[in-house]
Amino acid sequence: MSTLELLLNGFGAAMSPENLAFALIGCVLGTLIGVLPGVGPAAGTAILIPLTFKLDPTGAIIMLCAIYYGAMYGGTITSVLLNVPGEAASVITCIDGHAMAKQGRGGTALGVAAIGSFVGGVFATIALVVVAVPLSTLALKFGPPEFFALMLVGLCLVTGLAGRSLIAGILMTVVGLMLALVGIDPVRGAPRFTFGVPDLYDGIGFIPVVMGLFGIGEILMTAEKPVREVVRTNLSKLFPEREEWGRVWASIARGTGIGFFLGLIPGVGSIIPTFMSYIAEKRLAKDPSRFGNGAIEGVAGPETANNSYANAAMVPLLTLGIPSSPTIAVLMGAFIVNGLTPGPFLFQEKPELVWAIIASFFIGNVVLLILNLPLVGLWAKILEVPYQYICAGTLLFCILGAYSINQSVFDVTVMIICGGIGYLLRKLDFPLAPLVLGIILGPQLEKSLRTSLEMSAGDYTIFFTRPITLVLLIIAVIILAVAALQLAPKEIREGGDD
Amino acid sequence: MNRRDFTGLAGAAALVPLAGTSAQAQEFPTKPIQLMVAYPAGGSTDIGARIVASIAEKAIGQPVVVVNKGGAGGQVGWTELSRQKPDGYYIGFINLPGFNTVIADPERQAIFDIKSFTPIINQVLDPGVVWVKADSPFKTLKDVIEAAKKEPGKVRAATTGILSDDHLAILMVEEAAAGTNFRIVHLEGGAAQMKETLGGNVDVSFDNVGSIVKQVAAGQVRALAVTDTKRSKFLPDVPTTVELGYPSVISSSTRGIAGPKGMDPKIVARLQDILKKAMDDPEHVAKLEAVGLGIRVMVGKEYQDYYDDIHKKAIKYTEWAKKRPQK
Repeated sequence: MSTLELLLNGFGAAMSPENLAFALIGCVLGTLIGVLPGVGPAAGTAILIPLTFKLDPTGAIIMLCAIYYGAMYGGTITSVLLNVPGEAASVITCIDGHAMAKQGRGGTALGVAAIGSFVGGVFATIALVVVAVPLSTLALKFGPPEFFALMLVGLCLVTGLAGRSLIAGILMTVVGLMLALVGIDPVRGAPRFTFGVPDLYDGIGFIPVVMGLFGIGEILMTAEKPVREVVRTNLSKLFPEREEWGRVWASIARGTGIGFFLGLIPGVGSIIPTFMSYIAEKRLAKDPSRFGNGAIEGVAGPETANNSYANAAMVPLLTLGIPSSPTIAVLMGAFIVNGLTPGPFLFQEKPELVWAIIASFFIGNVVLLILNLPLVGLWAKILEVPYQYICAGTLLFCILGAYSINQSVFDVTVMIICGGIGYLLRKLDFPLAPLVLGIILGPQLEKSLRTSLEMSAGDYTIFFTRPITLVLLIIAVIILAVAALQLAPKEIREGGDD
Repeated sequence: MNRRDFTGLAGAAALVPLAGTSAQAQEFPTKPIQLMVAYPAGGSTDIGARIVASIAEKAIGQPVVVVNKGGAGGQVGWTELSRQKPDGYYIGFINLPGFNTVIADPERQAIFDIKSFTPIINQVLDPGVVWVKADSPFKTLKDVIEAAKKEPGKVRAATTGILSDDHLAILMVEEAAAGTNFRIVHLEGGAAQMKETLGGNVDVSFDNVGSIVKQVAAGQVRALAVTDTKRSKFLPDVPTTVELGYPSVISSSTRGIAGPKGMDPKIVARLQDILKKAMDDPEHVAKLEAVGLGIRVMVGKEYQDYYDDIHKKAIKYTEWAKKRPQK
């Protein structure tokens, strides 16, 4: 049977009314998970697994995938409306998404995110059908040294492009990396920088930090302005202006590509594609100064990359049995519990089921779009509530969210302190994105560096003798050099002309 | 009796009225139980945990939530487990002997020891396996050992974490075949090891049978030896280390469930009852065997003795791991 026939059979199995209903319920539940900041996609999906036990395997897995997609989208809603990222992948959306919301374009930001997610998801799934197996084998060439170099490129990009000054960017990145060192050493196992405080053994939680820096920091910034006009949101405005469409489609296309290729590499995680896409958009824009002030590409690109990644990350799972993110690992557990062991045998052992799942990826994306576009107006309406109420609501929402991660008051304290820090950093015009990326990438960066050195018995030439690693490291150096030139004071840059 | 003992007793006496009464033990559980896995999601401990959790929660009508606390070869999760209230609502997997080496290694500065936990029940005994990717030049365990003898420190051998059972198995091979020296690469968990081995970033991997059965069947990887006294029913064609002339290379990983110390024996008995029923369930057996995990249910004294015996062995190899020269 050809691939197309198999896929059509899969659609036949997945399109039954019950399965469509499961996809719908899954998307709604997933969106709720995404909206709640404390419950990330991984935890949320795990909590909802028991819901699927009564279903047959196809229905159960369709519903779980829908939950996963829904959660990836739900985080966007709070990022745009409240500047509180619901999960890691929507951190970057805060920057321009929330700026758009303040200009009364919240509906457009959410609309573009939904469209981008749909396009990215559908294209990644098509690519999954066509090129899954050969590409997943190629992605394995990405060993610890390549990983280390990739992380470094990510950090350099954000550092170099995030703010007004390279020094400020580097400073923030380093602070982020230092915070990431707190906790138990991932290789030797000894506690570091914990000062005997057991709450620090697990490291400083990334969600409370981000909620503090963005959410609480935003509340403090707004609170100092005495009166604030109610934002008038145009409900019918879900779509961008006519002249914006061209730029939006280009962003969506780039986001799809970035998300797909990074999704193939196990272990990248959902956040790197979004940062990479944001930076690509800023880099390619004619007028980069629009970014941070409500540039629509800053929402379209990352949101597309996010969903494209989410679908592509299924490739290593389905073909090699390697889960590439915590959420996917939870899905893998759920697949196994439902009698489906992901791995090299899956396509031969249970072709009907695999193709039904792949078909359900398409269905999940369609349902998500249909569900979200009409709701966008409703969500955006929240912004018409007078700000003092939103302020209190956001604060409550953040505290509950931070507490619900580990039922720990310590996390709430971390969030409040970070809120103060976030406020100060904004006042001083220090960029927040490099700090956040440093905290997120720190542990992976360290792990891949140390594993690489174990592979080479401590010889640093391992980073210069592997072609992909070398190319990535050169790119990192170029990025920093270009950024240094661009951000240098004018007199130095134009010194030669005098 | 010195003053400190007296204070301890007084404290214990004060706690008695608070401890679970039998009525509470009968009703247990009245809220969701968290089942901690000290490794990232997707490894074989995690798979086993999710299967037993899914069966147990159907029986007790409360969710059994698997919580992944990966990192530092399990220490992050076990630290967390040792700090929980011993009320039975937070229990977790202890993976012997990785668990024991964390305690035995002073560098770890573990804040728990062997007495910090209440062993409840053992679920799985998974023997170690030496494996390579399918197109590796190594066809037998002998090939690997000879290469590691000829060029000491050149053959990259992967563990699933420092001082894991897989690390100990490498040390056992080095001990049994004098003159061998591997370049040991510590990876975080079975999924990372599979990725790096298939990607050619390490030459030989030491893991457990359950992690690779599917890939062996698919022809992606080749198992060279099982570190056990008898052949694994999941890999019947793979010789044991005993058959190959290395009878001292015996290593396996067991996954059992424990709680913090000081649990009410009635709650322990109730948990043993719930979990044993779930583990004996044909669905549990079938699903675990489908992924290559051998079930070995141990409770009470049998599990306590095993727990103590593995601890002695772990101390010996941990000390050696510290002194071992890396060529």
